[in-house]
Amino acid sequence: MDTILLVEDDKNQILLYEQELAIEGYKVVTATNGIEAIENARYFKPDLVVMDINMPMMDGIESMCRILSEHKNIPIVINTAYSNYQNNFMSWSADAYIVKSSDLKELKDKIKELLNKRKKNDNDKTV
Amino acid sequence: MIRPFDHTLYRKVLVMLLAGGKGERLYPLTRDRAKPAVPFGGVYRIIDFTLSNCINSGLRKICVLTQYKSYSLDRHLRVGWNIFNSELDEFIENIPPQKRTSEMWYLGTSDAVYQNIYVLERERPEMVLILAGDHIYKMDYSELINYHILNKADLTVPCIEAPLEDASRFGVVGVDNNSRIIDFDEKPLNPKPLPTNKNVALVSMGIYLFNTEVLVRRIIENAKNDTNRDFGKNIIPTMIQKDRVLSFVFNGNGHSTANYWRDIGTLDAYWEANIDLVKKNPDFDLFDDTWPIRTYNKQYPPAKYSFENEKNGMIKDALISNGCLINDASIGKSIISPNVTIGSESSVMGSIIMEGVRIGKNVKIKNAIIDKHVTIPDGMKIGYDLQNDGKQFTVTEKGVVVAHKEMHLI
Repeated sequence: MDTILLVEDDKNQILLYEQELAIEGYKVVTATNGIEAIENARYFKPDLVVMDINMPMMDGIESMCRILSEHKNIPIVINTAYSNYQNNFMSWSADAYIVKSSDLKELKDKIKELLNKRKKNDNDKTV
Repeated sequence: MIRPFDHTLYRKVLVMLLAGGKGERLYPLTRDRAKPAVPFGGVYRIIDFTLSNCINSGLRKICVLTQYKSYSLDRHLRVGWNIFNSELDEFIENIPPQKRTSEMWYLGTSDAVYQNIYVLERERPEMVLILAGDHIYKMDYSELINYHILNKADLTVPCIEAPLEDASRFGVVGVDNNSRIIDFDEKPLNPKPLPTNKNVALVSMGIYLFNTEVLVRRIIENAKNDTNRDFGKNIIPTMIQKDRVLSFVFNGNGHSTANYWRDIGTLDAYWEANIDLVKKNPDFDLFDDTWPIRTYNKQYPPAKYSFENEKNGMIKDALISNGCLINDASIGKSIISPNVTIGSESSVMGSIIMEGVRIGKNVKIKNAIIDKHVTIPDGMKIGYDLQNDGKQFTVTEKGVVVAHKEMHLI
């Protein structure tokens, strides 16, 4: 079972995403700010990270860069209410940038696509 | 040559000057300072040549990325290069690792830029010129920039022809008929020669002009996928496969003899590049008023020579700086930095004497580099018995004797 680290400071949204992603068959672990995300990435070694940007303590962009510096190749999906961070150079480190919507289809499709791509790359390496 | 001056040029280009290398091969000159801060040519520091190129090319937005032993370099930039006007949007900024993206120092040349993507974000330049703080040359970067724009390149790599036997020290470049780089080998064991001349290879000068967006994409990809973070080893070889990467053959822009460019890699190369300056017609001319080299100079009185006995003293082929007191001494083929005293009946031949050195009476120095504030006692000989010199000094492969900064001699 793939583990997803969900980084999100809004409790209601955490509940929603947790449920929806569990239905898709993922194990979901959470963090509510950027610093906790770094710690939980170390502890749970997730297969993918869904990252909000505006959060207390440390924002999602800095947290993403720091996670990437410790775990190479980990797919990261930015999931934010704001579209303008796409122009931010550092946000280009993410594998996907999704503007939050009540329909989670885009997010779910992206997660599936990135996890499949990752597995394919891992298989290619072992072959 | 008179050329049209694009007054908007400097706004479009941000310079990132890499000054973070350890410079281990220049030890002991780098014992207390970063390589770009090593004195050169009497009054300069190595970094002054690249910074002067920027000024003379109209570039006024400069980030100097520092890391090891940066105090001396910081101070030099602060006291010597505080000439930019922030109200005109000009700057020179000294940027050490800020740990914005990780807990690491700069892991390589491209990582130094990656860790400062934030700066690119804020400045949003169209192009980024990556320069090195340890090269001696005169180059008009505006010609490079025009070439880059006219040829719609993503990346332009200035190159120079090097003798085949030296080429394995550099990135060796293979180009097609349209100057597009199709091959890039960083420090290959068997460098490929030019098709037109078997004795030379085209090598990268280690400086790069990027379109900002391409640069950012490629260094992010590299940071995510690779553990090595080097422009020559990682970024360029990947880019030649998917981006438009052109070579720009450096021809000296008419400012120097035979496209002079030196990467001051070793103590011997350092000694040679310095001593070359004192020739009647040097390859690198400091007295070229079309390309002034600026630096920081402390105020000293004029150099003073007093010869009581005409037979004792003679000066031939030398650069002598302000503040020097030379009494009845002989100097040949040497560089004497500011505030040096040389006592009577002493001789200094083929040597680089740095600031504040005190040379006593009847001292003989040959083929040596004496770093700052060394006092050489009366009667001492340096450079005449290399075996003996090796006990207290560094002696290079070619027999140059090096005394480190503030060394105590008895």
